[in-house]
Order: sequence, then C-alpha cells, then structure tokens
Amino acid sequence: MPPPQTADQKLLLDEIGEGPGSRLLLLAIGGASGEQLARLSQGLKAALQDDPRFLRVANGDANPDALASSLLPYRYLLSPTLDTRRFDADYLRDQLTQRLDDLSSPAASMLKPILPRDPTLEILKLAQRWAPAKQPQLREGVWFSSRNEALLVAETRAPGFDPGAQRDAIAALQKHFDALPGSKSAELVISGPGYFSLQVSSRTKAEADRFGFITTAGFVILLLLAYRSIVPLLVTALPLLSGAVCGFAALALVFGEAHGITIAFGFTLLGVAQEYPIRVFSHRRAGVGALQSVGDLWPLLATAIVSTCIAYLAFFASGVTGLQQLAVFTITGLIVAGACTRWLLPRVLPERFRDAAQTPGLAGAWKFLARLPRPRWLPWLVLVAGVLVVAFAPAKFWENDLSALAPVPRSLLLTQARLGGELGAPDVRYLLVLRAASADGVLRLSERITPQVDALVARHAVDAVELPSRYLPSVETQRARQAGLPDAAALQAALAQAEQGLPFRTGLFAPFVADVEAARALPPLTPERFEQTPLGARLQAMLLHHGDGKSAVHGGRAPWIGLGTLIGVHDPGAIAALSASTHGAAHLLDLKAASESLLIGYRQRILVALAIAALLLCATVTIALRGPRRALHVLAPMTLATLMVLVVLRAAGIPLSLFHLVSLTLAAGLGLHYALFFERRTDDPAEERRTLHATLVCVISALLVFGVLALSSVPVLRAIGLTVALGVAFHFTLSVLMAPAGHLQAPNGSAPDSPVSSNQAPR
Amino acid sequence: MKRFVLAALALSPCAFAAAPPDLAATILAHLAKPGSAQTEFIEVAYRGMLDRPLVTSGTMQWLGGDKLERDVQKPYKAVAKIGDGRMSVQRGDGAVQSMPIERAPQMAAILAGFRALLGGDAAQLSRDFEVKAAGNEARWVLTLTPRAGELKARVQSIQIDGRGDAPRCMTLSEGDGDTTITLVGAMARAGLQSSAPLQSALAARCRND
Repeated sequence: MPPPQTADQKLLLDEIGEGPGSRLLLLAIGGASGEQLARLSQGLKAALQDDPRFLRVANGDANPDALASSLLPYRYLLSPTLDTRRFDADYLRDQLTQRLDDLSSPAASMLKPILPRDPTLEILKLAQRWAPAKQPQLREGVWFSSRNEALLVAETRAPGFDPGAQRDAIAALQKHFDALPGSKSAELVISGPGYFSLQVSSRTKAEADRFGFITTAGFVILLLLAYRSIVPLLVTALPLLSGAVCGFAALALVFGEAHGITIAFGFTLLGVAQEYPIRVFSHRRAGVGALQSVGDLWPLLATAIVSTCIAYLAFFASGVTGLQQLAVFTITGLIVAGACTRWLLPRVLPERFRDAAQTPGLAGAWKFLARLPRPRWLPWLVLVAGVLVVAFAPAKFWENDLSALAPVPRSLLLTQARLGGELGAPDVRYLLVLRAASADGVLRLSERITPQVDALVARHAVDAVELPSRYLPSVETQRARQAGLPDAAALQAALAQAEQGLPFRTGLFAPFVADVEAARALPPLTPERFEQTPLGARLQAMLLHHGDGKSAVHGGRAPWIGLGTLIGVHDPGAIAALSASTHGAAHLLDLKAASESLLIGYRQRILVALAIAALLLCATVTIALRGPRRALHVLAPMTLATLMVLVVLRAAGIPLSLFHLVSLTLAAGLGLHYALFFERRTDDPAEERRTLHATLVCVISALLVFGVLALSSVPVLRAIGLTVALGVAFHFTLSVLMAPAGHLQAPNGSAPDSPVSSNQAPR
Repeated sequence: MKRFVLAALALSPCAFAAAPPDLAATILAHLAKPGSAQTEFIEVAYRGMLDRPLVTSGTMQWLGGDKLERDVQKPYKAVAKIGDGRMSVQRGDGAVQSMPIERAPQMAAILAGFRALLGGDAAQLSRDFEVKAAGNEARWVLTLTPRAGELKARVQSIQIDGRGDAPRCMTLSEGDGDTTITLVGAMARAGLQSSAPLQSALAARCRND
C-alpha cells in the first residue's frame, strides 16, 4: 500500500528532490590579483564544463555562441522580434541605419562577423534574453564579488541531499581547481546546499566515529572486568556481526541498494543483539555445558527476539522506504544474531569459565536492590504525573523541521547568503511548478503566465523568475513567428528599398536572405533538439516527465512538469495567486512546507504502526508467559519507562522527531529484555544473581554507548543518545522496582511464589 | 589640447649625444604625459562591407591607467567608456550597453596605444607589442604589433604618425583587412578635405602634409 500523498509531496519525492536550487554550488576564488583570479575562473569553468558530474557552470563570461551554428536559422523562431515586427522596408531601413552607426562604433569588431548574416542582430537579442537575470559585476570578463573574489556557479548533476554524490562532485571540483596553474596561492571557497549536506554528514560521521572509539574501549574494559576472562571479549561480536552481514544481504535482496542512513541507524538498532551473548556468558553455571545452558535460556531469549522483531515490524508497516529498509536490516539481523547465539556461540565457548554469580560485590548489589522500598502506589503516581507532564508541558510537541536536527554551521550560512546575494542564486525554498499534458503544453503555459510573472516582478513580489519558455518558445509561437517571415522575393525587394542611399555593398546580405528562407521551412524546435545547444541542459533541468507506465500511480495527473526558478522571493502569497488564475496548472511549490507535511505524514503512519506493534507485542508476551498476570510484570515497567523518557524530553522542552521515535523503540526493546529476565522464575539465588549480572552488564554497556552519544554536539546524535540512555536507565530502574514478588525481594532464595515481603508490586 | 603639447626640456642633451639612441624610446619619452590627456578626433573607418568610409568625430580623453572615454559628437551622439576591463556604450539617450573589453579589440587597441604613448611605460608597451620606429625625432612613425592574445588575433598593427612631441594619426589595421584612421591633435582640428577621403590619400596626409 503506497502511502497517501498530496501532489506536492509526490512531486517533491519523485521528481524534484530538493529543487534545482539545491544542486547549485556557489564558488568564490580569492587571495590573488584580479587578472590571476580571472584566469583561474576561466580555467575552472573549462574543466567543469568537461566534467559529466556538472550540468553547467557560469562565471559571467557570456557565450555569444548560445545557439549551435547548425541551429542558427532558428533564431527567427526563438527571438521575440517577429512577435511585434515584420521584415519590411521600413524596419530593415531602420535596422541598417543603426548597423552603419555600429560599424563606426567601438563594438564594430564584434558585429562585423555576424552582420551579413544577421543585420537585425537576433543572435545578440537571444544572448541577452538568455543571460542570467541578475549578475554580479564583471571584471576581466568574469564575475567578481564586492570582496574581489572571482565568482562562479556550478550545477551538479546529483541532487543536493545526496552526500555521497556531492562528495564526488566537490572532490572533483577541488581537484580541477588544484590542477590549475597558480591555484596554490589562491583560495577556493565552496558554498551551497550540496556542500552543506556534505559538511553536516562528515561532521556527524566524524563525531560518531570518535565516540565509537571511546565506547569500544569502554566496552572492552567492561567485559574484561565483568567476566575476568578474555573469551567473552573474543566471541561477543560473533552474533552481532553475523546478524549485520545477513542484514546487508537481505537489504541487497529486497531493495537492491540501501540509504546510507539505513546502515547507520540499522547498526544502532541492531545493538539490542549485543545482549544475547552477554546473557549467555552471565548465565553459565558449573556442571552444565554451554549448549545446555543456552537451551535453558532459549525460551526467554526467543520471546525477547520475537517481541523486538514485532516492534521493528512497525517501521516496515510505515511505508516509508528508508524505514522499511531499516526494518528489513534489523529484523534479519536480530533473527540471525539470535540463531547464532543459540546454536553457534555455545560451540566455540571453552569448558572453563568463571561463574558470574561469584562476581565480587554482586551479592551486595543484589541485597541493596532487594531492600529498596517498593510502594504499591509508585507506578500509579508515575503514570498520572507522567501523563500530565507529557500532555501539559508548554514545549512544542513535534519537531517538523528536519534541518533543526542537522544544523548547518552559521559561518557556512553567512557565506551562502553573501555569495547567493551577489550571484542572484535561485531561491531554494520556492519553485513555480507548471503542469501540462505535453512538454509543449508546459511551454504554452509558461508563455501564457509570462505577462503575469512580469507584473509580479514589476511589483517586487519577486526579483526575477526564470521560466522554461525563456529558452524555448512553444510550437504555436514558433509557427506564428515563422508565418511572419517574408518569402525570398519579398525580402529581396524590401532589402533593396531599405539599402537605398546606404553604403552597404551589393549582395552583402545574401546570407541573411538565405537564413530567413531556411527558417521559413524549418520544423519547430523541440526540447529534444534544443538539448544539443549549450543551454540544452538548462532547459532539460526545467522540463520533467514522469516515467511511462507510472501514470496510473499519478492518478491521471498531467505527466509533464515545468519548473520555474524564483530569485529573491519577497511576497510568496502574491506568487501563489497564479494558481487561481491558471486553475492550478501553475502553482507555487513551497518545498519547506511540502517536506514538513511529508514528515508529518510519515510520523502519523509510524505512530499508527507502533500502536499496532504495541498491541501485537502485548499479545506475544501474554502468550509466551501464559497469562496476562505475568505479562503485566513485563509490560507495565516498559510502558512506564517509555512514558518517563517522554516526560524528561517534554519537561526539557525538546520537541520530538522521527529520531526520538526510533530511539524510544530501541530503548523499549532493551527494556523488554530487562523486564523479561527479571520476571523469570527460578528458585536458585545464584541464578538470580546471574540474571542481575547479565542485566547490569547490558545496562552499563548501553549507558556507555548512548550516554557518550548524548554528549555529542550534533543534535541528531544527541537526540538518539539522550533518548536511549534515559530509556535504558528508566527501564532498568522500573524493571527492578516493579519486578514480581519473590524475584528480587528474596535474598535468601525463597520459593518464587511465597509471600515474603509486604511491599509487593501489583500482580 | 595644450595638455598634449609636451615639454622635453627636462631631458638631458647628453642623452642625445651618446651612442645612437633608440628612436622609439626617445619618442616615447617625449610623449609621456602622466595623469590624463584629451584630444579632439576625427575617425575615418574603411570597412570591407561598405562602399565608402564612415566618418565620426568628437573628443577622446585618457584618464590614466586603463580608463578611456570616447565622446562621439557627429554624425550621432554616443559615449563609450572603458575601464576595469569593461566597455560601456551609450548611444544618445539610449540604454547603456556593457561588454568585456575583449569583445571590442578595436577599442582595446586604441586604449593600448594611448597607454603606451601617454603613460610613458616603455617596458609595459614592449611587453604587449613589438615596437618599431622609423624616421627621426622631428617626423616619426611608430608601429606597434600585438604580441599575443585576442588583440593579436584581431589587430594586425597600430601605426602612429607624429611630429616631435605630438602625434597626428593612429592607423589601426585589423586582421580582416579593415582599416581605421584616427586623426588627433592638430590634424583633427584641421579637419578633412573630403567627406569620404580615399584611404591612400588620408594615409599620405598623415605622413607628409
């Protein structure tokens, strides 16, 4: 079942990504003389033009050959001159007189080569029409900023949110620059959304790696202290690694490829599996083989694995691709890790081991926990107070702005604002979306709204708008212009009359007459043919087509989409009004609003899926424990602990994001283990101590991993770390305090069901 | 106009007495005029695609460095300003059109000529042009041939005729065979004898007269 989505969300996901603006890299070269910077700018432009990773690059050096020479006769169909003029004697006379003046002007050298072919200068009119709407100052032939940096704009082929592809493109860009002579002394500044996503993901990865090192070291020390043997350390990674390997294989089989973020989160969620070998190590006892020992634990371990898998199944049901991948990876990983723990791990464990029950200090810890007061009213108080805090805390409940979790450093944003302002870079938030049944329909629509768009620019609602028809007029318009061209005889006659008394040599304009005659017979220029021109890539990026055969998915929506880029949006409301006058065919897409509504949609689906998973979990635990009474001992602490985490987050004013939801689920998975094992019935005090030992090792290692992550400066890492660490602490505490009577309260090892203490948790 | 008339008094006579002096260097030293300079001009443009030459006249002002202003009075009014690698042209009250100077090599050559003649920087001049001098200090011809770049592709040579410390004509020969002869100083004040002078006649006038 595909998730229900609005047209804007669909467009955002399938066609646009984050908009053409997100593919722009703004470049500034500084730190050298103007002449040297101009040379570097030209060199970099030449290198990037030959690099397939870049769609286009501009540095202010206008290209007078905007039209491929084979397409030159098309200038009469592309230029708007014929909309208002006819090539009659009057118009030609006026033009030729102007050209005569031009020939004695400083611009003569530039005009001379094209004059016989193009006396009305349509080529120059097109070059002007296609020049960027707003340009920085030009020096030495290239753009310069007010701080004496040479400026360039490069458009990458890859979308801005794809850090891998952006890394490739930016590395290539830097390499091209470093290869230029004289680049050593100059400095290249890169900015733009793609660069940001690369910076943010690099910073996140660097920090995660650094913390990973600290926690690994801590984990090694913990294992050595807990088991006073090197064996657990050597084999502990076996289930987790097998699970990860199989998780990857499953991802490859089901999806073919995986998002980078899936892998990162997948490993985090799979961390639950680290508990399995720890339980096995802690529960070994004298006289019982490893295989037998694991067999005894297995029913409980299997319940834990199945329950966790059910929780993660919620991610699969969410319908969000990234989360579905996450679910496939973790569920496969957990099952394999469980199987590995059950059948493989015991076979590699040596016969010699130290009984965890004999760990110094463990008996003391046991007694301490057993003596803790367990008032019956405590769970109810926690429940009521928690619900009140969660419901009435003043902080915003949900975080809808994903960028708040991976913020771009302020210095980068300032650079971006400065360069974007100087270069007139398109707005990254707003796009004008044109829908039509054909590419030509998009161009017709684009022409139809041009007067309204020009009026918006005149009213300063927006600084400039770039529409597809700026580059290629519709077939209709081209045909109308074509019809306005005179035949050869009429043009010859008009030209002869216009040339009267002017010193142009006889027959000079024969190439002009030939081009007009050729233009009369041309088939209109299509987007496909226009792609051969230097500006073809520009138009291609503005005209999108839904893949064939997907039309059913789009519910009869117009299959062609044109994108108009906006520069300097001041009044989005005025631009949005275009939608009404075109019956929705042209409308303003707010990428931020669309992505936020998409996020809200995802979250609602995840919440529903999590609720269903919770019900399934309750059923599973109830069946596994053969009755609701025992199930309550497991499920009540889990529920209350999750509530407590929410209480802390809400009280601290932290709005919740998808990452918090994923983290809460992970913490609940860990908490389930604690509660399940504390609930386990045994009449052996040594075995109870082993349970405590295993749980303590698990809790300390989880607190170590996620507590360190909570100290991160990257908000997304901090969100995960804080949530899971808090969760582990609450789950453990409540599992202890709400453990059934006779489990933790009987240091002398009384029978499980004997009423020893009056301070029983509700049963 | 008087600013064009340069005093060579500062030059030591001993310099001339020494071994045959480099004529080009001597002429340039005479012409050097730091700061700015202004002259009337008459430009006669011979174009391959036209039956008769185009004549324009006005004033030209060199503002030092790479700044040059060319103010056309006849037959139409137009102002061209050069500076910072750009050229902007305004015809009458029309819109200002701006382009990189490389697009107008003709103007770039005129600018280079002015910088060379008036800036007094012989070293820079010989870096950009091959400089040849003929005649003597009283009546001379300097020929500048571009060494490289867009200028070399478009401009064959710039020839400057002069007397003593005053230039008379700048003859720009373009790669495509077109020629532009610009009369400056006294020559410009004297005016043309015909509305469409023959190129050979005008060239002879620049040299002799």
